[in-house]
Order: sequence, then structure tokens, then C-alpha cells
Amino acid sequence: MSVWNPENVTDVAESIGIASLNREVVEHLARDVEFRISEVLTEALKFMRHAKRTTLTTQDVSQALRLLEVEPLYGYESTRPLRFGEASIGPGQPLFYVEDEEADLEKLINAPLPKVPREISFTAHWLAVEGVQPSIPQNPIPTQQQVDMAARGPAGNSTLAALSGNDNPNTRPPVKHVLSKELQLYFDRVAPAIMDPSNEDYRNAAFASLKTDTGIHQLVPYFVQYVADKVTHNLKSIFTLTSSMQLLAALLENPSLYMAPYVPSIVPAILTCLIGKHLGPTSSSTSSQSTNNPDTHFALRDFTASLLAQLARRYAPTSTTLKPRIARACLSALLDKTKTFGTHYGALLGLTFIAGAAGVRSLILPNLGAYDAVLKAGLEDEGKKEGAEVVVQAIIRALGTLEDDAVMVNGEVEVNGHPEGDALREQLREVLGEVVGMRVFESGRQGLIKAVLEKDLVV
Amino acid sequence: MAQPLPPPSRTGSVGPPSAGGMGAPPASAPVGGGNNQQNLNQIVLEYLNKKGYSKTEAMLRKESLNVDAHGQPILTRIEDTGGKKWGQSFRLIKNWVEHSLEIYRPELVRLLWPLFVHAFIDCIIDCYTSDALAFFQDYKGDFEAEHSQELRQFEKITLPEHVQDNELAVLYRQKKYRVSLSPMAFAVLVEFLEARDNEGGRVILNLINAHIEIATLNRAATARGLQKLMEEKERSGRLGELGEDEGIQGHQPGSTNTDVNTIGTLTKLSLAPMPMEADLMEDVKADLSHEDSVHPPANGQSTLVDHLEQTIKQEPTDDAAPSRESIPFPPSTARDVAVEVQKVKENRDRFKIDGRTGGVGPGISATMFTFHNTFDSVNCIEFSGDNSLAAIGTAESYIRVWSLDNRPLLSPQDPPGFQPSSSRRLIGHSGPVYGLSFSPSAAVPEPTTNGHSGDSPAPDSQPRFMLSCSADNTIRLWSLDTWTNLVVYRSHQSPVWDVRFSPHGHYFLSCSTDRTARLWSTPQIAPLRIFAGHDSDVEAIAWHPNGAYVFTGSGVGDKTVRAWSVANGNQVRIFTGHTGNITAIACAPNGHIFASADDKGEIMLWDLRTGRRTKTLKGHQKGGIWSLDWSVESTVLVSGGADKTVRVWDVQPNKEHKVNGEVVNKIDGATVGGGAAANKSGKAKGPVVSPDQISCFATKKSPVYKVRFTQMNLVMAGGAYLEQA
Repeated sequence: MSVWNPENVTDVAESIGIASLNREVVEHLARDVEFRISEVLTEALKFMRHAKRTTLTTQDVSQALRLLEVEPLYGYESTRPLRFGEASIGPGQPLFYVEDEEADLEKLINAPLPKVPREISFTAHWLAVEGVQPSIPQNPIPTQQQVDMAARGPAGNSTLAALSGNDNPNTRPPVKHVLSKELQLYFDRVAPAIMDPSNEDYRNAAFASLKTDTGIHQLVPYFVQYVADKVTHNLKSIFTLTSSMQLLAALLENPSLYMAPYVPSIVPAILTCLIGKHLGPTSSSTSSQSTNNPDTHFALRDFTASLLAQLARRYAPTSTTLKPRIARACLSALLDKTKTFGTHYGALLGLTFIAGAAGVRSLILPNLGAYDAVLKAGLEDEGKKEGAEVVVQAIIRALGTLEDDAVMVNGEVEVNGHPEGDALREQLREVLGEVVGMRVFESGRQGLIKAVLEKDLVV
Repeated sequence: MAQPLPPPSRTGSVGPPSAGGMGAPPASAPVGGGNNQQNLNQIVLEYLNKKGYSKTEAMLRKESLNVDAHGQPILTRIEDTGGKKWGQSFRLIKNWVEHSLEIYRPELVRLLWPLFVHAFIDCIIDCYTSDALAFFQDYKGDFEAEHSQELRQFEKITLPEHVQDNELAVLYRQKKYRVSLSPMAFAVLVEFLEARDNEGGRVILNLINAHIEIATLNRAATARGLQKLMEEKERSGRLGELGEDEGIQGHQPGSTNTDVNTIGTLTKLSLAPMPMEADLMEDVKADLSHEDSVHPPANGQSTLVDHLEQTIKQEPTDDAAPSRESIPFPPSTARDVAVEVQKVKENRDRFKIDGRTGGVGPGISATMFTFHNTFDSVNCIEFSGDNSLAAIGTAESYIRVWSLDNRPLLSPQDPPGFQPSSSRRLIGHSGPVYGLSFSPSAAVPEPTTNGHSGDSPAPDSQPRFMLSCSADNTIRLWSLDTWTNLVVYRSHQSPVWDVRFSPHGHYFLSCSTDRTARLWSTPQIAPLRIFAGHDSDVEAIAWHPNGAYVFTGSGVGDKTVRAWSVANGNQVRIFTGHTGNITAIACAPNGHIFASADDKGEIMLWDLRTGRRTKTLKGHQKGGIWSLDWSVESTVLVSGGADKTVRVWDVQPNKEHKVNGEVVNKIDGATVGGGAAANKSGKAKGPVVSPDQISCFATKKSPVYKVRFTQMNLVMAGGAYLEQA
């Protein structure tokens, strides 16, 4: 009847030399033992609860014993769950014991120290944005169970439920259902108008509306999704890409929209337009209706970079990982020699805008020497010459920010103390690589030269 | 535990002590003596007849009727069945209650739990262990829903001495359990018990006399009328709910008055905000008007000064404000002015959350702070009032503080060349840290001029102190300037569960396993008030926003929430109704309503003025709701718990019920029906979600330890990621 076996009591009694115990005494004792143990457990559960845990640990039991003024049991302080072994002392009489491994002291001492456990750290994410749980990796995928957890009552917001996908899965309405008819119409008109190259008036009107309209907050996720779709599927159409970027720019410009939660979903599309490998019609398909200037993809990248800069400036304070993430993506694109000059160009622009002069100094400058080979090869290749030239210009421009920075810091530019002539040229070539080094030298901009070399001197 | 038991009340009134029933087993009669006995009787009767002792003869004839042919007494009295009598009596009353008239049933059903407990305890005390255990097993299922925790405690009692060692049993023996019945139900009950006197009615009657206090009250005249009881029954799907007027702490609902006969007179509470000090008010106004001139309000906004005056005027006049004299505070400083100014600004500028409007709950934004690599060693998480710091208390006895915006945490005591990081460890406790509290603060943005941070330094508004409490029985005060321990407060006799700074600072409240909550002021190392009265651990505490009242919540056996006055230390309200351990309490900023949560997953809302429950919110799963908080407008409640969810609740009382009962009831009926159907179709799905839940946000694997509304109505939630399972 009782959980505690009276035989155990007999065993313990025998082990301390009490040979024969009355049957009733044994039963009485067994019951008492059971009672005391559960008293301890009740206390231990309290400690578990206040540690906000759902598993009882040995520490909880120790604390409970201390509270009951009993000496705690030592030697069971273990953060791992204890492993129980089972042995049979007779038919149907299993005996459980704690498995105790024998440790070789010699080995233990000579063994390398175990790894230091990782430090406690914290991350932050949006659990809910205006009543909707965003579907980001940090949040769980809505399951049947959670659908059940959602409220069904009058207070439950069906719109919110639908947006977060928590409404009844069997009769889930199309997502548009939650938008008002006016908003749907608005979206249906504005989105195609923007993507329509034939009617400039409509486009401008649409952009103007996006920039100023105060009531389109509900549409923001749809626009973001729309842009992401367009960008993924229309990499060959410079016009579509540019329009998409302009759309985003318009949304970001709208003072009444709160875009911070959407920044993570915007960034991939922007990066695609910035450092995409082949943007616009590929050379093989030039024969098709390519009325566009093949170099407009540089213009697109220029525009995108400025958009990115705007984004970073505005949202970096709220999202600490935004800038590093973009910078990392750009840098890896720049260092990848297999990418096209278009990509490199975009990456350079991105880095310059995101990280400013400090970024140029620490991220671009050290890599120019290695990049020289790529540039040289590009300039020699007739097909790529144009691209390479643009990249060189971009590098010079990026270095230019160093100059501005130096001017701002020092107030006036001093050129004294630097080697002249050939020595200078040699030094520049060492730092910047042959192609860029020559250009810089030939430009004769003392401020620029000094700013570039300063790093070398200071560090 | 040490208190003596009251004299065994049962044996005195039942008649022959049942030890007789145990000591004289019926099988021990001499075999074959039957005939002799019969003959003997005959002889004696003849003898008496001859002598003319007619009265004696009549008595003997009467008494011998109860003896069977073998001279054994025939058992007609239930008492003589020994340990079985409690089981039989309980079955009798249970059957009767279940078949009683429907209108009395919800009331009478409430009697069963205390009867069950006392029948069991009495049975144990009389040493019928096996009978008691069988009885317990037979009927415990009926009470699983409401009393699972008590059942777990009683289950282990098997010997009379355990009754004295078990806190809960002692409590039930020492105090009378109160049940309220309407006069009619009570009359029916007594009539039945007297009629069935011999079948167990007397046993039950004795139990009621000894351990239960039946308060007769006119249902029609009370809020908890029969109509309401029936509604409750329909809603909860079970017979009767734990009433507010029922239990060990039986009392007039709301008041602390435990006398049955007096009508509960409620202590008047001063629920209005604490008035601002005159000097402080002047300074704040001056600052605000300066601010108004520098940054004129945007279109449609009132000036800050106007806004302040409006908020002061808005206060309803029917609430008295606590006087500043009764709760003295140190004189205000420049820092207080800055904090107050910021409060007014935020009050004007924030995104307001309305209650349920047009049947649709408001959308809430929440940020989740997840702590990694904790190995379940985090006991509590706390955010500072200015949203700049987060602190955790660990099972390893240390406290760790992070800057949420990644700023290095500096200290003037840092040795030169020290690289300050954005996190600090505070070491000092010698036991797991269970509670943390930052001193009040407000987020004051750095004054900016033309985009540069201005020349004048921002007024110091960061929290300067933090309190922590631990299993080592101490509370410690830490300086957040030097990151060192300043004061150790010792007075509690056992582990301290929680500590809370007063909303105005200076004072703080702690609660402990020693069944008390204590009020302290930071400069003094001895407590100013000891709030004693709970019958078990004080597990959760909270402050009233005006700092004049505190709330304490208790665990198994007590399960009450009590309100105490800080000024005189008196108990001003008791709130009963929870069925689990209280795990969190939070009072709404408007000061009129507060919420308490238990580890059964229920949240209850209480009206402070009347002392009555206004709502029960269900939806959280079992395991504890660790934290509650209110939106600044007191319109929305947010909760977080062990079921790894953050839930948002509508707190408006269901007024529509009364206004146009018919129409709304239909809707309500539909939802209730839907809920019940869902519950029937799959019981494994978990508890019913009450319709007041606005939304529920699940985390991946992080139980939510802390939820907090910022002054700008953004929810901050904190939890520790659990890797396994």
C-alpha cells in the first residue's frame, strides 16, 4: 500500500545491528519514513517554484532540509540528472541505486581541464508587434496547440489572429480578408502603377502618395513582401529593381510609418540590388529589347547604396546588429574575387556609406593591396575594362572620405614630412596596389595622399 | 507545528469512545455459549418476574432485543463499525447532496471538502490507518480540481503523530472552515442529518460542530446570489466554485472580519495617488513650463503644464489620498524633479492603449529578452524603470547586471586600466537569489541640441540602488554607482522569497517562508512593520501605486491575498478564491483594481474598494504565472508564465451582462458552448481559455519570468532559454 517498502526498513535495521523487529513496528516506521520524505519534498517543491523551475534539483532538497533544520545531504550537488541503475535481488524485487562511476584519480588530475561553460548572454527580439507575432526565427511556428490557446471570445481580435496565422486553420481566409476594401484597392492600384514604365505621371503620383499618406501602415508588410518578390524574380530588369528601391525609399521617407520592425525583411532585398552578381540584362541577352543603357546597373547600385545609408543611419541605434551585418555581407562580397565588378562596386559603396571613414580605413584600405590583382586583370580584359574603371573610381571616392575625415580632424592638412617623388609613389603602390596607387599619385591631391598614408604611419 | 492540538472534540460528543469498538473484536465470544446465554436470560427474567422487579425486567427485555441469538450485540449504531463509520457517513452525505434539489446543490456541495478532510483526519487520529487510506482513495478524485495541493499534503498522513507534524492538518484542526449556506439549505441539511442519525448523520453533525462554521446568509440579498451560483456553475462546468466567503480564512468577503454574525464593514481605503510635495510640485511646474517654451507642443497636444494640472484634477473626488504625514519621505532632490517631469512628458506623449473597443482587443507590442547558456540557474529577471538595465538572480548566489544598450558599466572604484564591460557581477549572497528590485527611475533622454548631446549633463535618473533577497535569510542593498554591497538587512528567520521597492523609493517590502512580510526603509537595518497573519509562506508581494498599501499572497493552506496598510500595519482586506499557490500580484496604476495569479494558471481580478472578485481569467497552463503587469492606463493586463507564453488580457468587467442581459447572454452562451465543446473533443488540449484573452504569444523554449509595461506601453518580457525538452 505504501510507496515505501517495509522490507527496506528491516534491511536498514539489520545493517545497524537490530536483528528482529516487530512486524507492526516495521510498518509503522515505513509509514513514518514516507511521511517525513514527503514533508521534505513539499518544502523542496517550494524552492523549485521560487526558482521558477519545473524540475526539482538536489539543491532544492538540500535547501528544504536546511529549512527543516536537518543537515543537508552532501555529495549530490549535480547539475546533471542522476542516473539510476537497477539490480535484482530476487524475483520481482528490483533494487535501484545511483550509478557511481569509479574515477581514476591519476587520470582525473592529468586530464585536460574541461571547457569553460559559455557565458550567460541575452538576445532581444520582437515577440509581438502591435498584437501580431512576427514570423522570425526567434518565434515559434504557430502550431495547432497555439491555435487552441488563442482566444475565441469577444475580446479576441480576429484581425490580429488572422495576421499572425492563428485563426482557425480550416477556414483560414485569404490574408487580404483582414484589409479594408479601400486599402486593398489602394494596394492594387499603387503597386502596378509603380512597376509600369509607360506612365510616368502615375508613377510619380504613386510615389508621392507613399511618401505622405498617413493611413497605409497596415499595408507596409504587403509592400515589403511585394518588393522582396519583385526583386527575387526580376533580377534582369533594371527598371523593376529601381522601382522597387524607389518604393522602399518612399516608404522610409513617410514620416507616419513606423518601419523599424520591417528593417530585417527589407535588408535582403536592398543587399540584392546592391551587390547582386548580375543585375540587368546579361550580355548574352542584349539582343532582346534592351533599350537600357547597360551601365544603369551602376546607377541602381548608387541609388540603393544611398537608400541603405539612410536606413542604417536611422535604424542602427535601435538594432545594434544591423550595421555589422550589412558590413559583413559587403566585405565578403568585396573579397570574393569570383564576383563581378558590379558586385564589387556595390560592396564598396555599401561599406563607404555604412561604416564611413573609419570603415574605409579599417575594412577597405587593408584589402586594396590584394584587390590590385583583380583590378589589373579587369583593366586588361577588354570586356570588363569599363566595369573595372568604375570600380577604380569608386575606390578613389571611398578614399576621398578619408581625406574629408582627416581634414575634419586636423583642421589643416600638413604635407611636410612625407617622402616625395618616386619614394612616395612606391609607398602608395605598396599600400593601395599598383592601379589605385598610381591614380592617387597622379591626382596629386596631397590631402588624399596624406590621409591614405596616415594609417600606415600611425598604426 | 509546536502548538498543542485542541482537546479531541469528537470522542467527547459521540458517546462511547470508539476505542471500545477496536478493543472488543466480535469474534472473541465463547463458542457454544449461545444456548447458555439464552437460558440464563430466561432464568433471570423469571426471577425478576417472581420478585416483582417489573421495571428492571422491562429494561432487560428491551436491551436483550439488541442482542442476537449468540449473545452478540447487533450493530445498529454507526459508531460501532469502527473505522468504517467515516466512509459510510461521508457516502451518505455525498449521495444526498448529489441528489438534493438543484437550487441547493451548488451550496451544499461546498460542504463536502471540509467534511472529507476532517473525516479523514479523525479517522487517522483514531488509528484506523487502512480505513482512512481506503476512504481517501475512494473520494479524493472529487476534489482533484480545486484542492490538488492539499490532497498531496494529506495523502502522506498515515499515523496520528503525522497530524501534529503536518502544517496543513494542524491548520485545519485549529481553525474552523467556513462555508456559507442559505437558511433554507441549512435547515434541509440539519433535518436530513437528524433523520439519518443512526446511519451516519450523527458523525457528520459532530464533524460540522467541531470543525466547520456554517454562516447562514440570505442569498437573495448578497451579490453571490443563487442566480450567480448557477451561472458560475454553468461557466466553469463544475459544481460550485470556491467562494470568496469560504475556507479556512472564512471572513466577510473583502473585509478582514471573521466573525460570522457581523456584517462585514469595510475599512475605507485611500486609493488616490499620493499628493506631490508642495516644493517638488513647484519645481516640476517650473521645469515643465521651461520645457514648454523650448519645445512648444505639437498641434493638438496640450502643454505639459496643462497636462499635469489635468491629471491632478482628473482624480475622482470620492477617493481620499493618503496623507504625506502618515508615510514620511526624505525631502525631494533634483533627481526627483527630473523623474517627475519625465513622467508627465511620457504621460502626454505615449501611445495610449484603450480597453476593448468595439469588441476588438488592442494590439500590444512586446520585446522578448532571452537569456542563453543559463542551465536553468536563473531564478529571477528584473528590468530597471528606465529600461537601461537588466538583472538576473541566480541559483549560484550571485547577481548579474547588464546594460541593455550595451553601454559599459563604470564604477569610480575601477582600478586604472580596467576594461569595463557591459555587465557586472554582484557577489555577496550565500544562497540562491530569489528576488531583485531596482529603485524607481525613469528614462530621461539626454537633452539634445542640434543633434549633438548637449553641454549640460543629463539629470541623473538611472536607478541608483538595487535590492536582492536570498535563501540565506538576508536582503542586500547594492549601489549601482560603485557596484558594491551597501547594507545587509537581517531579520527574517528563513529564506526570503521576494523584495520590492516602494513606487516612490525609500521604503521596501520583503516576504519570507517565516509567514511574514516586512516593511523596511533603506536607512534602517530593522524592519518598520511586520505583517503577520498568513497561515503559510508569503510567496508574492506587491505595492499599491500610491505607496500606502501593500499586497501579500500566500501558498498552500492559506491561498489568500491580503492587503495591509503601511501607515498602521493593519490588515485591511482579505481576498479568497485562489485554488493554487499565489505566484504573482500586481496592482493597476489607477489604484482601484489588482490582479493576482496562481500556479494553477488562473488570474483573478479584484476590486479594492468593495473587496470582491470581478473576473477570473483562465488560459495559462499549469506551472505558475511568474509575472503580471498593467498598462499605464490600467486597461490591459499582461502575464507571463512557465507555459512559455506571454498573454494579454482584457480587464474591463463584463458589464454588458447586466445591462441587456438577453442579447449579450446569447453571444456569451455561444462562446461558452464553443469552449465547452472544444474541451470535450480533446481533453489533452489543455485548459479552457477565457474569452477575455486578447492575444497569446508563445516563445520557443523560454519560460517567461518577467513581464513589464514600460512607461510608453511597450511590453518587455524576460525569460531563460531551456535547451533540453
